[in-house]
Amino acid sequence: MAFADIDRAVIGREYDRLTYPPVTTEELISYAKTLGVTDPIYLDEDAAKNGPFGGLVAFPTFVVKLRGNQHMPKEVAKEMSAGGFDAGKDIEFGVPIRPGDVITATSTITELYEKTGRSGSMWFVVFRQHLTNQSGETVANVDSRIMQRGRAPKGA
Amino acid sequence: MSSGATFDAVEPGDDLPAITVDLSRDYVKAHATELGMAFPRFTDDEGAKKEGLPGMIAPGNMTLALLARELLAWAPGGRVLRLGTTFRGLALAGTTIQLLGTVTEKDDERRTVECDVWMETPEGDRCVIGTATVQLP
Repeated sequence: MAFADIDRAVIGREYDRLTYPPVTTEELISYAKTLGVTDPIYLDEDAAKNGPFGGLVAFPTFVVKLRGNQHMPKEVAKEMSAGGFDAGKDIEFGVPIRPGDVITATSTITELYEKTGRSGSMWFVVFRQHLTNQSGETVANVDSRIMQRGRAPKGA
Repeated sequence: MSSGATFDAVEPGDDLPAITVDLSRDYVKAHATELGMAFPRFTDDEGAKKEGLPGMIAPGNMTLALLARELLAWAPGGRVLRLGTTFRGLALAGTTIQLLGTVTEKDDERRTVECDVWMETPEGDRCVIGTATVQLP
């Protein structure tokens, strides 16, 4: 088995779905605080009432905390087990997260590809986490690119 | 909020105000823990070195959040609609980094701007680069 042999049928198939407990005010504030955000619309319920969202909302990148149960499907994770790196993320933000929201994260692989450069081959896995709230509104689409230096298949 | 960037006042070519951030070990560790990513590479130098890194690094999820912080500090009351990032190098804990950016395009219909944003190491390397779409007040 090698990266090239991973059945591409895995692309587009939902491999993980997780519904989180309701988001709390405390966790939204804690995220913003540890990041160093100072805008009260992310930190102070009273001040946020007069802000553009009419109440406290999550700092947008809070969505990266909601990573689901399973990073990748097993057949992909097996080939990417030699210390992959986060190569980047593309995030489309939808409606803001508010206290009490119940977020569901579903995960699918969107791309599997290999690149060959001067230092050899690199494997890339792109997966999408689609986050929705209790009303079915999209909160975010988070596309993550995981990269790993290629290795020869066992026995080669 | 009135001191922030507004759609009418912003033009392509404008620079976002540079923000200097002390990526102290305590700060990186606290945020990595907040993210549920308290892995050795993000929490202690020795653990990071065992993974072949020169020392503790900031998680990619922290560096992209810092770029969002830069955008929303520039345009409080605005909304980041999209943020795309590439993690090109290491954001080492214990260093002071700069968050920089520039406006590249303006869309009158959607009242949005496109920005290039990046994180620069003390050596001037762009360790994280990105593009963003921001709706401005």
